[in-house]
Amino acid sequence: MSRRPITRRDFLKVAAAAPLAGAMIPALHGAAPASADKVRVVLVRDPSPLGTGGAPPAEVVQKMLDDGVRALLGETDVVKAWKSLIRPDDVVGIKTNAWRYIPTTAEVEQAIRRRVMDAGVGEDRIAIDDRGVLRNPVFQKATALVNARPMRSHHWSGVGSLIKNYIMFTPQPAAWHGDTCADLAKIWDLPIVKGKTRLNVLVMFTPLFHGVGPHHYAKEYTWEYKGLIISRDPVAADATGLRILQAKRKEHFGDDSPLQMTPHHIQLADTRHHLGVSDPGRIELVKLGWDEGVLI
Amino acid sequence: MCASETSDARRLASYIPSTIGPWLSEADQSFDAETVFDYIDGAGEVYRSYNMRLLIARRFQKDGRPDIVVDAFDMGASADAFGVFTHDLDGEDAGIGQGSTYKAGLLSFWKDRYFLSVYAEEETTETRAAVLDLGRQIAEAIPGRGEPPALLKLLPVDGLEARTTRFFHTASVLNYHYFVADANILLLGPETDAVLAAYGGKEDRSHMLVVSYGGVAGAGRAAESFRREYMPDAGGNPAVRTENGRWTAARAAGRYCAVVFDAISAEAAVARLEAVERSIASARGPSP
Repeated sequence: MSRRPITRRDFLKVAAAAPLAGAMIPALHGAAPASADKVRVVLVRDPSPLGTGGAPPAEVVQKMLDDGVRALLGETDVVKAWKSLIRPDDVVGIKTNAWRYIPTTAEVEQAIRRRVMDAGVGEDRIAIDDRGVLRNPVFQKATALVNARPMRSHHWSGVGSLIKNYIMFTPQPAAWHGDTCADLAKIWDLPIVKGKTRLNVLVMFTPLFHGVGPHHYAKEYTWEYKGLIISRDPVAADATGLRILQAKRKEHFGDDSPLQMTPHHIQLADTRHHLGVSDPGRIELVKLGWDEGVLI
Repeated sequence: MCASETSDARRLASYIPSTIGPWLSEADQSFDAETVFDYIDGAGEVYRSYNMRLLIARRFQKDGRPDIVVDAFDMGASADAFGVFTHDLDGEDAGIGQGSTYKAGLLSFWKDRYFLSVYAEEETTETRAAVLDLGRQIAEAIPGRGEPPALLKLLPVDGLEARTTRFFHTASVLNYHYFVADANILLLGPETDAVLAAYGGKEDRSHMLVVSYGGVAGAGRAAESFRREYMPDAGGNPAVRTENGRWTAARAAGRYCAVVFDAISAEAAVARLEAVERSIASARGPSP
């Protein structure tokens, strides 16, 4: 039997508790089963000025990544932490995002690459790619993936997310656009990626909180948040990034401006596809570094 | 690309100047409804939902200045050119084409069956002037004019807010403008035409939705579906008070279904529906 649709009226009922539509969808669908174990997500920020490419200096990015990974895994030695993620015999694909206006950034890519090499993986068994992953021999043979991309509002899926970043592992990405990308998490069951993701890095240096025009971009709708969100759970990392975007929209537009498309693929990744945790109540958020304007 | 599409692409490209001030253009890129994702990612779904036929993208470059990008869409029909223009009305009217808006370096306008986006990757005084100049040149080069969707004529004029009218086909686009439900409870689809508009101003805003279906039966099913899912507590009443203290009402009239959201009273909701019904009757003409 199909479930009752969620309507605007459901949002009105709980508007006082959670005024943004996108944020309310998880609660309205019913939270995931209670669990004593929370999923850890680390938010690390640094106030250093951003370079022309939109990232902090490389050494700052490296420190942010290292601090985040150590906190995530509860390990003081960063190389040991990475060795718990990546084996020396792994073939590692770093799935990046090359969107023209807000890419993952070379600084993040190289910081990850360095630590993968520190874990013992040879340079010839590491690749960084986005749109070419299906043709990339390293990705074709990959035993481990590191998923790194910026979060931004998205004209169709609500937000460009870590979950969505794997759409390039499918031969026909458009085939996943149904119901505004509701079932993107199913991609994570495809053999080329299933069970391989060791770390997720959601880049929040200059997130886009609103989009306009065919390219869904205007610089005035970005801001210098200067953060990285790091987790082993892509859904929890995305849900956390989404809270930040929604908080920024509320700050900028006022109460009455939910994301233009509901990013329900994040919530459905939890409740329908069981890829991870979207309920903030089941996420342990560890915040490191710069606190000004943190929003959550 | 078949011969007629090639011809359409040539015609559309001919409307775009090859230079604008000191900016020079790169080679055009051409996309259809299948390949548009290669250019604008999932946002292509918006244009596909308006039946886009062709996109010509031309980038203008000048060292030391922000790029300017023209995206020219052949939507196949003026109604869809108008519709996709109404997808994003944020900004000021630039007085270009048959309807335009400008904000933050982005000019959008429609004319005939075409929708144009002219975008400066960074807004400066110079790029703003160049974008508007480019838009004017393109609009003047397009010889024809198109008719807005006839469905717009069914909207009551009294209280209608300027620049809030949206024309579309699908539930996803409806939810983009005004979230109704996470399921398609109004049975919208590529074959339906819909118009949504705001009334009353910011402090007293209500919304009017009118959908045209293929026939009377389709409209009846949609109204029944909406009443069942959205206003199950209405009983036999024409309107229901929703959780924000406002009123929603819906009814089918011929091949149309009309819905009023957030009216100030049940009477106001019903009065607006009746105004739509009069417009429908008027459009049909006198009974034989």
